[in-house]
Amino acid sequence: MSKMKKIINSYKVYSLAKYIFSLVAVALIGSFLIMFQGESPKEALTYLIDGAFGSIRCIGNTLRWITPCIFTGMAASVAFKSGVMNLGIEGQIYFGAYAAALVGFYVTFPRFLHIPICIIIAGFAGMAFALIPALLKLYFNINEMIVTLMLNYIAVLLTEYFTYIVMGISAAGDSLALATPPISDTAKLKILVPKTNASTGFIIAVALVFVVWFIYRNTKVGYELKQVGANRRFAKIGGVNVTKTFLSIFLISGFIAGVCGSVEVQGTYGKFTAGFSNNLGWDGIMIAMIANNNPFSVLLVAFIWGILKAGALHMERMCDVNRLTVLLIQALFVLFVTVDYKKLLEIFRKKGGKV
Amino acid sequence: MELALELKGITKIFGKTIANDHVDLTVKKGTVHSIIGENGAGKSTLMNVICGLYQPDDGELYVYGEKKHFKNPSEASRAGIGMVHQEFMLFSELTVLDNIIMGYEPKKGLMLDSLTARKNIEKICNQYHFNIPLDAYIKDLPVSMLQQIEIVKILFRGVSIIIFDEPTSVLTPQGIEGLFEAIRTLVKNGKTILFITHKLKEVLAISDEITVLKSGKMVGNIKPKDADETILASLMVGRDVLLTANKMEKKLGDIILDVDDLYADDYDGREKLKGASLKIRKGEILGIAGVAGSGQQELVECLFGLKEVKSGKIIYEDKDISKLNCRGHRNLKIGFVPQDRMSEGVNAEGTIWENAIMGYHITSEFGSKFIINKNKVLKFTDNIIKEFNVKTPSAITKIRHLSGGNIQKIVVGREFSQSNHLLIIEDPTRGIDIGAIEFIWKKIEEMAATGTAILLVSHELNEIMEVSDRIMVMYDGKLYDAGMHGEKTESEIGLLMAGGKSE
Repeated sequence: MSKMKKIINSYKVYSLAKYIFSLVAVALIGSFLIMFQGESPKEALTYLIDGAFGSIRCIGNTLRWITPCIFTGMAASVAFKSGVMNLGIEGQIYFGAYAAALVGFYVTFPRFLHIPICIIIAGFAGMAFALIPALLKLYFNINEMIVTLMLNYIAVLLTEYFTYIVMGISAAGDSLALATPPISDTAKLKILVPKTNASTGFIIAVALVFVVWFIYRNTKVGYELKQVGANRRFAKIGGVNVTKTFLSIFLISGFIAGVCGSVEVQGTYGKFTAGFSNNLGWDGIMIAMIANNNPFSVLLVAFIWGILKAGALHMERMCDVNRLTVLLIQALFVLFVTVDYKKLLEIFRKKGGKV
Repeated sequence: MELALELKGITKIFGKTIANDHVDLTVKKGTVHSIIGENGAGKSTLMNVICGLYQPDDGELYVYGEKKHFKNPSEASRAGIGMVHQEFMLFSELTVLDNIIMGYEPKKGLMLDSLTARKNIEKICNQYHFNIPLDAYIKDLPVSMLQQIEIVKILFRGVSIIIFDEPTSVLTPQGIEGLFEAIRTLVKNGKTILFITHKLKEVLAISDEITVLKSGKMVGNIKPKDADETILASLMVGRDVLLTANKMEKKLGDIILDVDDLYADDYDGREKLKGASLKIRKGEILGIAGVAGSGQQELVECLFGLKEVKSGKIIYEDKDISKLNCRGHRNLKIGFVPQDRMSEGVNAEGTIWENAIMGYHITSEFGSKFIINKNKVLKFTDNIIKEFNVKTPSAITKIRHLSGGNIQKIVVGREFSQSNHLLIIEDPTRGIDIGAIEFIWKKIEEMAATGTAILLVSHELNEIMEVSDRIMVMYDGKLYDAGMHGEKTESEIGLLMAGGKSE
């Protein structure tokens, strides 16, 4: 029995060691990259931290970036956990944002109604856009990864086109500033930190993490979702309606992505700008992978992601290190964490044995 | 007498488990040497060392007195060692001839010399009395023939020491007799046979010498004339066991399941069930025997709502259930122990409790409609662990850390603890050790005694004959009566399995 405990402990040690190793490796590579650009890594890091926490405004700005990271991280991890490869979060954000901008501008409601209505309709818009790949998968067995991936482009360009329609063709003069009219004040989220874009959207995001955590931990639905993700055949034999679960997971993931879009519009930009998202959806996918689809880990990784995003701008302004370096480091970290080191070691051992 | 094979102190370690612990083995030329042991005793590891798939961590290997270090199976093959694997390694879309010469094609310049190949193969077939159609496609041939092809394939490579890994598990009793005949001819022609199995009767019938492995160690070397099944079993397990189910007298109830004229296709669209019919009474254990692939899988899937029924009726407790899905079956108190425990029976990444409640998680026993009551679940799981004697540190251990037998106990425990009225059980003892088999048989018997109807589908004829109250045989998509417990002999049932008519 103690032997078995040892084996289980060794798994825990292994996954911890994996993260530490990845962190060290990424730190080394990052330092090298920064030195390559003629700066000292220590200094760059100081500027980065300074940019993220240097003042109340900076902290507000960091919170602003953490918010969408939590949303997209959750959208991705909810899907991945049940074995749904939804790579279309980016596109679903666009549809959510666009819907929120329209409802925010055209409809008038009292504030306490306007905000939730905007958010919910945005959620449904994201959901509707996720319905396409879900149905294609269920009825024609088309790989959802490819469909969602391709639909991202359609979403970005289609919402741009819709914006033209709303604004009239005259707006085409300046395509960079192509945007819907500003939403009314009753639809805007309350700002948490004055003079920044940190809104109550942050609170919604954190609440979402707790809700999802609770569902997985304590509810029968959460139990089924987990089992479907781990072994679909097993779940089916256990009487779980796998088709229904697959569809609902896809829709829930799309809903969360849509809400992310609406929070961006209602909390930060105040309008829908064409091409605004800047790969937020992909951030979510990376966050979910690092966090191994655990809600609280998503929260933690989203914090780090937000800090990096907010601090990178400041770092670039203060020293010569390119902002893209941070992006590169993030991507490398994902790579290092997702490697199966055990298998790698085995291969090396086998090769060593043969030679 | 010349030694064909000699192992001295062979040791193989995987991580922390010692699969082979200083195993010594001497195999005389021209004999049948059997190696027996429970699952996990290290038989397969030892054979894989001999045929070059694994390199031993310690110890020496001599072939015909010459010291060898095999780095891969083709080196072993060149030294004269070949293996007939449990799962056949044949390409179903190619002809028999192509399969036999694959990798060892005789060439004439750049061209394939299929004439020479054919001549050589025919010579081998004549010498050993094999009768196989060289131009037929593998997919059209029966299993027993495929095994002969595997043997010819190995002989074609000029092998003189042949390892058979559990060769009888796919054969009918008549097929087994045919295999033994072939083995005797091989030995007469100077070949040496290593025979791996866990079936004691066969070992006694065919071997010249028997080696027993237990947890990686060699625990006995015995001649069949000095042994019987009891002696071998106690050597293998370390205590006295003989696999017989304890049949009890009981009264059967009304008919609970009535399957009539069932038709269904497999996943490739071939008709696999061609009018199967059966009836089970409450408290009855109905065993279904048959050669693998006769339609058992399709029958079970139809009965549990995993497969569409083309035509026919499935009447359970006076309702037609042929259109229901799995949930519907579970709601009607039908339980299911699937054949493949790792891909169907459990979620290997999940904890024991997660696996112990699957299928029954929505019942009020484990909380309200939405919320899972962890305390109740853990208590329930602990009960299964205790009652089914599962070796695990706790209920929150992940399933994949357990051994096959313990995982199967969880699956069986789950389905048996839910007061089901009908249990569909498929190969419940596949790949688990004797102790666990004994235990599960006992549990099946106990369940039937409480009035539960049990449909037992197994590929182990021995299991069907020991456990069932009544036996049916599946052949080519139809079910045939094979009498009550103990009514027909093994060879009579074997004849039915091969399609022979019963009188």
